[in-house]
Amino acid sequence: MSENGTARKVSRRSVLSGAASAGLGLAASGAFPRVGFGDAKFAGKSLNLLIIQPHVIAGRKLAADFEAATGAKINVIAVPYDQLLAKATLDVQSGANQYDVIDYWFANVGAIGRDEITLDVTEWIDRDKAEIQPEDYLGSLYDPYTLFDGKRWGLPYDGDSHVLFFNKEIFDKHGLKAPTTWDEYLGVAKAITEAESKNGIYGAAVLGGKAPIIIGSTYANRLAGFGGSFLTPEGRSALDSAAAVQAAKALKDIVPYALPTPLETRFEEGLPAFLSGKAAIIEFWSDLGVYANDPKSSKIVDKWEVVRNPVGGSNKTPRLALNAGYVFGIASGSKQPELAWEFIKFATGQKEQTDLLLTTASGIDPSRKSTLYSDAYKKFAPKVQNVLAGALENGLSWPTGPDSPQLQQTLADNLALILSGDKSPEQAIADTHKSWIGIIGA
Amino acid sequence: MPTPTSPGSASSALKVLSLTATFNTTLASLRVEPTRRLSWRFLWVAPLVAALTITTVYPGIFLIALAVSDSRLGKPFRAFSALKNFVASLSDPLFLEALGRSATYAVASSFVQLILGLAIALLLSALVKSGRFLMSLILLPLMTPPVMVGIAWKLILAPAGGLLNGVLMNLGITDAPISFLGTAGLAWLSVGVADVWQWTPFIAILCFAAIASLPGDVFEAAAIDGANAWQVFRRILLPLLAPQLAAIFLLRLVIAFKIFDLVYVLTFGGPGFHTTTASFHIWRRALEQFDVGRAAAETLIFTLVVGVVTLPVVWLAKHAAKAEAGHA
Repeated sequence: MSENGTARKVSRRSVLSGAASAGLGLAASGAFPRVGFGDAKFAGKSLNLLIIQPHVIAGRKLAADFEAATGAKINVIAVPYDQLLAKATLDVQSGANQYDVIDYWFANVGAIGRDEITLDVTEWIDRDKAEIQPEDYLGSLYDPYTLFDGKRWGLPYDGDSHVLFFNKEIFDKHGLKAPTTWDEYLGVAKAITEAESKNGIYGAAVLGGKAPIIIGSTYANRLAGFGGSFLTPEGRSALDSAAAVQAAKALKDIVPYALPTPLETRFEEGLPAFLSGKAAIIEFWSDLGVYANDPKSSKIVDKWEVVRNPVGGSNKTPRLALNAGYVFGIASGSKQPELAWEFIKFATGQKEQTDLLLTTASGIDPSRKSTLYSDAYKKFAPKVQNVLAGALENGLSWPTGPDSPQLQQTLADNLALILSGDKSPEQAIADTHKSWIGIIGA
Repeated sequence: MPTPTSPGSASSALKVLSLTATFNTTLASLRVEPTRRLSWRFLWVAPLVAALTITTVYPGIFLIALAVSDSRLGKPFRAFSALKNFVASLSDPLFLEALGRSATYAVASSFVQLILGLAIALLLSALVKSGRFLMSLILLPLMTPPVMVGIAWKLILAPAGGLLNGVLMNLGITDAPISFLGTAGLAWLSVGVADVWQWTPFIAILCFAAIASLPGDVFEAAAIDGANAWQVFRRILLPLLAPQLAAIFLLRLVIAFKIFDLVYVLTFGGPGFHTTTASFHIWRRALEQFDVGRAAAETLIFTLVVGVVTLPVVWLAKHAAKAEAGHA
């Protein structure tokens, strides 16, 4: 309560002091056009929010709350998660400029910044930092999510990562324990599949669909577990490491014991399989902890547990991979950037973020310390909160440079070739490393 | 009979002279005002020229400009790159394989659909009145949006909970689910089956219309001469239908080359790249990797390949049409 309550007081004071100082200083200088909150302050105005399909419930809630607070109407426009960047880019490039706020995947921040798909909001963040509280963002998220070329291109609002969920009932039935290493994970999945596949139950649901955000996340869990990383600190390919190959091998090894078949499993297939008790383990975004206890959508209420992803090789320290993760940015073609900014601050603020964390099926995970450690979240999702606490601060980031879409695609293609049996893990990772060198340099 | 010197003949001669004079005047006016005549003609064709310019010439030039430039989705025309994109495309084995896959699939699926479509059309023609009613029924798959067709087949073919796997396992034919979309050969077959299901009715209705347009007396004469069904089909129907069948095949071939929706929904080009067609490859290049310059070069190369593959069919259609005209 204290963390949450204190932060709220600070936030209110910050809004007042920020408005006062900005009103005197910045508005007088004319550096930034400003708008502020007030009852129905923006009545009659509207914004178009381009959002990924899994965030529709969150988008609608934000729209309703923002309208109630300011009078402005938010039109929520949903697109498939793998098409948002193309849609936003085409909107800006074509001059159609239909969108005001876009919900971008953090791995694309470099491409977004290079092509100026969203506005550079560095100065706006600095201006409103008392209200935004950038220091409240989880350390490992803030820079990867928003920073490119020394500028910031939005504010985080969904701090995604995968954790390992398992069906306790199935585990207990077979006398199994939660895996702590990738070898144990394989052994557990094998035992369950061999015993239960005739009943339509499999050891693990493995998200291996050929979209980078799907198969790439599954690989990233293993890469982080084996102690590897995508890039070196200098920004070069780090896929020539032993950990990178070990992670790929671990991915291949699980295929025979996974829900058939990993290549055809995206979260649309994996999630229902786990929630219906057909898959005993799934690496999934932490908000699954909320879905899993909702009797409307889950047959495993109170029959599941969650742990951090396993480790492997010489690495003994679990590490989360920052899989997915979304940011709100102002579309550079927006005709109402100030109003869009007000919406973004509202949506990424502590109160709305806490509300979204406590909303079933919102698809939102913590991006702020104050929400991750809030009593409300601890009470609402205690198992997940316990796993994320202390781990999100040190998550493995994906490449975020301007060439990230090509890097992701190359990796996803080669990982899919491992799953299809067309390439060995060694060959696939070597080919990816070579391609990455060709894209970003040696 | 009036003579040229009679009053009647004088009157007629005057009329002829008058008409001739009018004709000559008109002709003269046309001769002296070619520019005006051309202006009128240009006005008549102007809408067509404008439409072609907007729909063909401009996109064509734009595509070529993209292909010879370093262009990203967000920032097109960043730098002139000459033939770099073409060279890169032609040395990319994934693209070349995708081209080969597209051509093979287009020819094979069009051929299968033509045979099935013709068979259905013959069956419906034999049913006469009820055939027309059935024709509107079998058109339903064609009226279904391709994405919905893909989703429906994905649900049917899914390994976990899929209808087909459920039936196969319940009947004891298989003891484990078959991954139709995750196995190389089966994935192509699955795409092909969904494609056949969707497009065969279209072929059937075209064949049905072509059969209906054939002269009935030829078939009556054949029947009187004692020709059996196979002889009628082989010696009369097929030669008469050949030009139309070639045209239908050409149409379907061009459409089949562009297959995208089913690949996108059912397999996403996988497993691996086993069902990645040229159009899917180009889509990924442009809208997943945002390299629109390279995608434009690949599009132009793909267009050439489509042209080359369809050329023999165009020739065949023309040849068949000439042969039929010759017989007529």
